[in-house]
Amino acid sequence: MNGVRGAAVLTAGVLGLAGLVVASTSPHLAGAEPVLVVSTLTATLAVAGLAAQPWLARGRVGAHVAVGSAVLVLVVVHVAALLVLSPDDALFAMSPDGPTRARMALISLVLLVVVACLGVLRRRLGWSGPTFRLLHGGFALLATVLGVGHAVLTDGALEAWGTVVLLASGVLSVAGGVVAVLGRRPGRRLSRRPAPAARASGTGPAAAPPPPGRR
Amino acid sequence: MRPHPVAITVFVAVLWTVGVLLATSSLHGTGARDVGVRGSGPEGPSVAELASGRCAPTITNPGGTNNYVPRAPYTNPLGAGFTVAGTVRDEACRPLPGVRVQVWAQTATASEQRNRTSVRTDDQGRYRVDTDPLVAQFGEPNVHVGYDDPGPWRRVFLRNVTRDGDTGAQVDLVLSP
Repeated sequence: MNGVRGAAVLTAGVLGLAGLVVASTSPHLAGAEPVLVVSTLTATLAVAGLAAQPWLARGRVGAHVAVGSAVLVLVVVHVAALLVLSPDDALFAMSPDGPTRARMALISLVLLVVVACLGVLRRRLGWSGPTFRLLHGGFALLATVLGVGHAVLTDGALEAWGTVVLLASGVLSVAGGVVAVLGRRPGRRLSRRPAPAARASGTGPAAAPPPPGRR
Repeated sequence: MRPHPVAITVFVAVLWTVGVLLATSSLHGTGARDVGVRGSGPEGPSVAELASGRCAPTITNPGGTNNYVPRAPYTNPLGAGFTVAGTVRDEACRPLPGVRVQVWAQTATASEQRNRTSVRTDDQGRYRVDTDPLVAQFGEPNVHVGYDDPGPWRRVFLRNVTRDGDTGAQVDLVLSP
């Protein structure tokens, strides 16, 4: 992992810790029910994971898969905790009549599932690197932007400094996504030869030409 | 090498769909209004309706029955610092005295499931409930007002929103047979 990517992943971790501190000390969670605390903290960690993901995509496939899986689990726990907290409100939020912030969250969740499925099926699909990057990386970026937007619009534990943390996480993720999707390493241009890890990462340049007749 | 044209089409279509879904969404949820003292105005009939003597009936909005429990006890006041008030009328804009209204909302010390009271309108059709300041419930403070009294009027339930720091909200109801 080169220096810039390492620093970016570290920054995502620091932002995650900062988010946890801001959320856990927020008046919104003072005396709150445990499921609300769980829901908030899992969402905070998920945002940090999403901020790190694009920076792990190249050359750290194992970490990328592990963090991606963790993000998906965290988001599912976040939603499940809200359902336990207030089924009426949770189901209303996820209905077509729910507010904008809830619709953003719902779309983000659907996109995350799609992104995870694409990641799991990467080899079986046999898509070229650019095609895979566009759909896997592009949808992941969209999911991140919508998830951060959902958190910013939500009046809750991540207000004030929490909003700063959320926006910084979003910017970090988008920057990493742009770097990954454009297929450039920070600080230097890619050589024409594919990197050894690129084939498995799915976000590097096409490691091998696609089979004839396949995308 | 470029992405496959089908992939580009799919990606653009998803972006467009997401944009449409967000553009057609409601900021507070379908039918919910900001009824706080700093909001867009009270829920209820307009001045023109009141002047004409023909008030459009209040319609239950999506989410209006969230966490509703029938026959809430009369425990007003629930606290202090936030006032929910309004007038209950019929379709001729005449005040309805003695009808039961239920109010429930989330505060820092009580969840929306527990912080509720029934209250009856006075001889001018007015009701008033005092509670602790509202806090966000699923993303923003919201207040529920419902009419659930057995009688000649149709039941109605509203979910409206307020802002952090608001000290009151006005929710007027117009009941129809």
